[in-house]
Amino acid sequence: MTVTSYVRDITDTVKSVFEGMSITFSHLARRPMTIQYPDKIPVPIQETLPLRYRGILEVDMDICTGCLACERDCPITCITIGIEMDKETKQRQFTHFDIDVCKCMYCGLCSEACPTGAIRHSQEFEGASYNPAGLVRHFVPQPQPLYKPKKGGETEPKLVAKVDIGLKYLDEFATPDGGGGVEEK
Amino acid sequence: MNETVQEQGPGFFAEEMTISVGPQHPSTHGVLRFVVKTDGEVINEAIPDVGYLHRSIEKIGEKVTWHGYVPYTDRADYLAAMFANQAFCLAAEKLAGTEVTRRGEFCRVIACELNRIASHLISVGTFGQDIGAMTPFVHALRERETINNLMEEICGARLTYNYIRIGGVGYDIVPGTCSRIVEFLDHFEPIVDEFNRLLSGNKIFIERLAGVAVVSKEDALSYNLVGPNLRGSGIKWDIRRDIPYSIYPELDFEVPVGTAQVGVLGDSFDRYWVRICELQESCKILRQCLKMMPKGPAIAKVPRKFRPPVGERYARVEAPRGDMGFYVVSDGSEYPYRVRIRTGSFTAMAIIDKLSKGIMVADLIALIGSLDVDAPEIDR
Amino acid sequence: MQSYIDELIQQGYFTGAPKEVVYAAAMVLIALVVLSVFVAPLAGVTSWLERRVWARMQSRVGPNRVGPQGILQWVADGIKNLLKEDLIPSAADAKLFSLAPYVVFMGFLCTFVVIPFGSQLIVADLNIGILYILAVTSLVVVGILMAGWASNNKWSLLGGMRSAAQIVSYEIPAGVAVLTIVFLAGTLSMQGIIEAQGWAPWDWFLFNNPFTFATFFLYFTAALAEGNRTPFDIPEAESELVAGYVTEYSGMRFLFFFFAEWGNLYVIGAVATTLFLGGWQVAPLAIFEGNPVLLNVAQFITFFLKAYFWVFVAMWVRATLPRVRVDQLMALCWKYMVPLSFLCLMGTIGFMFMPKDIQRIVSAAMFGLGVALVIIFFMRVVFQIRHAKPELYFKPHI
Repeated sequence: MTVTSYVRDITDTVKSVFEGMSITFSHLARRPMTIQYPDKIPVPIQETLPLRYRGILEVDMDICTGCLACERDCPITCITIGIEMDKETKQRQFTHFDIDVCKCMYCGLCSEACPTGAIRHSQEFEGASYNPAGLVRHFVPQPQPLYKPKKGGETEPKLVAKVDIGLKYLDEFATPDGGGGVEEK
Repeated sequence: MNETVQEQGPGFFAEEMTISVGPQHPSTHGVLRFVVKTDGEVINEAIPDVGYLHRSIEKIGEKVTWHGYVPYTDRADYLAAMFANQAFCLAAEKLAGTEVTRRGEFCRVIACELNRIASHLISVGTFGQDIGAMTPFVHALRERETINNLMEEICGARLTYNYIRIGGVGYDIVPGTCSRIVEFLDHFEPIVDEFNRLLSGNKIFIERLAGVAVVSKEDALSYNLVGPNLRGSGIKWDIRRDIPYSIYPELDFEVPVGTAQVGVLGDSFDRYWVRICELQESCKILRQCLKMMPKGPAIAKVPRKFRPPVGERYARVEAPRGDMGFYVVSDGSEYPYRVRIRTGSFTAMAIIDKLSKGIMVADLIALIGSLDVDAPEIDR
Repeated sequence: MQSYIDELIQQGYFTGAPKEVVYAAAMVLIALVVLSVFVAPLAGVTSWLERRVWARMQSRVGPNRVGPQGILQWVADGIKNLLKEDLIPSAADAKLFSLAPYVVFMGFLCTFVVIPFGSQLIVADLNIGILYILAVTSLVVVGILMAGWASNNKWSLLGGMRSAAQIVSYEIPAGVAVLTIVFLAGTLSMQGIIEAQGWAPWDWFLFNNPFTFATFFLYFTAALAEGNRTPFDIPEAESELVAGYVTEYSGMRFLFFFFAEWGNLYVIGAVATTLFLGGWQVAPLAIFEGNPVLLNVAQFITFFLKAYFWVFVAMWVRATLPRVRVDQLMALCWKYMVPLSFLCLMGTIGFMFMPKDIQRIVSAAMFGLGVALVIIFFMRVVFQIRHAKPELYFKPHI
């Protein structure tokens, strides 16, 4: 070890320590980027998430046609749908539509497959539950009939808004004919 | 416990301890275990013990459809999820002969390069943390949070994206996101300089890494290292340049190689420095893509029940941890017959035993960090 | 202190008890008071401040919920640790295992007897003051070795041995640095060293001559190494040895080690202030004439602020620098710091022989150099901020 390398070691160390300490000191004057969730924030986080955000699944049963596309496309079989023929009205109706939220891997394949946008990912992400039963979401409290989409658009006023929400959600996906939310939001 | 007694001189005996680094250890980058035989400071042997994070992703490929397997590929390396998506989709597209739309290719490259930046940020951040510098780690994660927010705007998820689909991408990138990506890049490039001044230029950091765990060119080739580990030893090999895919031939970027700037060629600092340079190159690529992006559909027409013809194909992409390859075999049905994933971290484990003879325990940690091994990639 | 107790005895208190018993009782009482009123909250608040300072340096917030701005976080941590299960590994040496944290704690607590908080505020002004501190802080080595051995864990053993080697090696540059100042001051007593300096910065030993300036940094580095602080925190290197010699400890015993570490930061700052920064010396302003209480309060505040500044610097250094490897640490000590500290000692002794006015000029020049370094530092900080263009936020609370 020569004298020059010895002295250079010392000066390099002092210079780099000086530089490093000036950087960390300068951070004392910068705004911390912590978002103090959930109480010290101006708006709830859920409202700041984009529409595409893949949170916990929700189903709008009023516009679900019972095509079972989501159940088929789910790669992890977390959706269970039961459809039966009602003896009196001769209509098909849902008996159960269960989504096992802890199996779901939030991939979005079910919502892409849905023709009406009934099943979609919400902005909800806090799914913790105190018991395992709470982790399976049941969307059919009592048997309800399937939705039949009308040709030429929906006319019943209660369902128009729901159909619009579903279609707006489906617009987010890219399609081979150039769609997919290219317009500036 | 095997404790062998070694003679270290006339009448002077030292016992060799067998200690276990991991599987619960703050800095083995996932669930890894090394059985280390040491005499207290100097390691005689470090045998990796892998398999703690095995989730049989390859076997699952035989049970789900082609489209349904793409989310599973995210989990093959969750820090570089886009690349696994892309490799699998490339292999499936090769089988079926699908052509990806041009805008789809650009979206893919943008998402992949953003993911590369995020993965390298974690890599250099945790590397600094292993060496003891806790601040650069948090700074790197702070920048990665912005990238996570951008990915959330693009595809709705922050870590396991399921973005790159067979035939293109799942969601288009809107102009608002493009301008936010440019804002991020303008903010990020000075931060990389600051990171270098804080950590890479620090004499203590350099002394810890210079000349430690040197991988020579011959060793790098014979042990089949890939990615920054290979380039750190001076070999200029990048899949994006040498076996180009997607639109990389049209983009102008450098391939950084290790240059022995503080020690020996192929030491830990070179591998780390290659990653820092790749951060800056990815920023360049992103800017070019955002300028050149054409209009059009982001995904090609692909049948919902994807049934590629019988055959087998291998597709490779340049992931942050090296060359990730997907070998798929199709038997004509809508389920793959076999999916095999080849990752860079698995082969990097092989060289750890050779490199760790004669180094100290602290250097073993630096070595594992500099090779950027990632447990999900090793065990799949 | 002793004179005060003698007065009380003469005035008729404590009749019927022999003098030694009164002294002993007084010492125990003082120790309890110092420990509970000063040392425990000091170490606790230092831990909270350390976490807040690190957090702001890392663009985070740090604990700010328990109490106003989180200042009671250490109380919550203490209560949590007291309520934890008292775990002693079955194969561990239980007696040594239980005793080790207290030995380490004692090693740092005994130094508070000679820390001069003010001209009258010192428990015992031993005439071997600084030598006593150096001796007593070496007890920490015994405690750490006990902890490493008694845990019956190979990682702990490695950590304990590394730490012992580190502390014992760095005693030498620290001791020689102290010796340099002792030569300048002519006495080992803490109050004597302070009184040999003046209140003005150019009268401090720090700016006395270039060799003492270098000696200060040598002392500070050696003291950081003795206190197991980064960049020398290999014994507790979390990413390498899990937690070194404290791996097997949990609950209050675990906290005692860290209690000792944070409190030791203050001792480092206090000794650095005494030796180099003029201690409790305040400017002889007119309001202090005939008002000894105000004078002592001012001296206490001055000393505390100066010492705590070095605690802040130690936290700042820990946030910035990576860890040094153990063989590099030994090389740093024996190849760099020991020769340099001896060089500074010789230089200071040589300097003491120079005529007085040349000494004064050199001191003034060193003071100018110090001010210039501070200005360059702040210019560099402004450069960093301008380069990164962040959102500025100067308030300490959030």
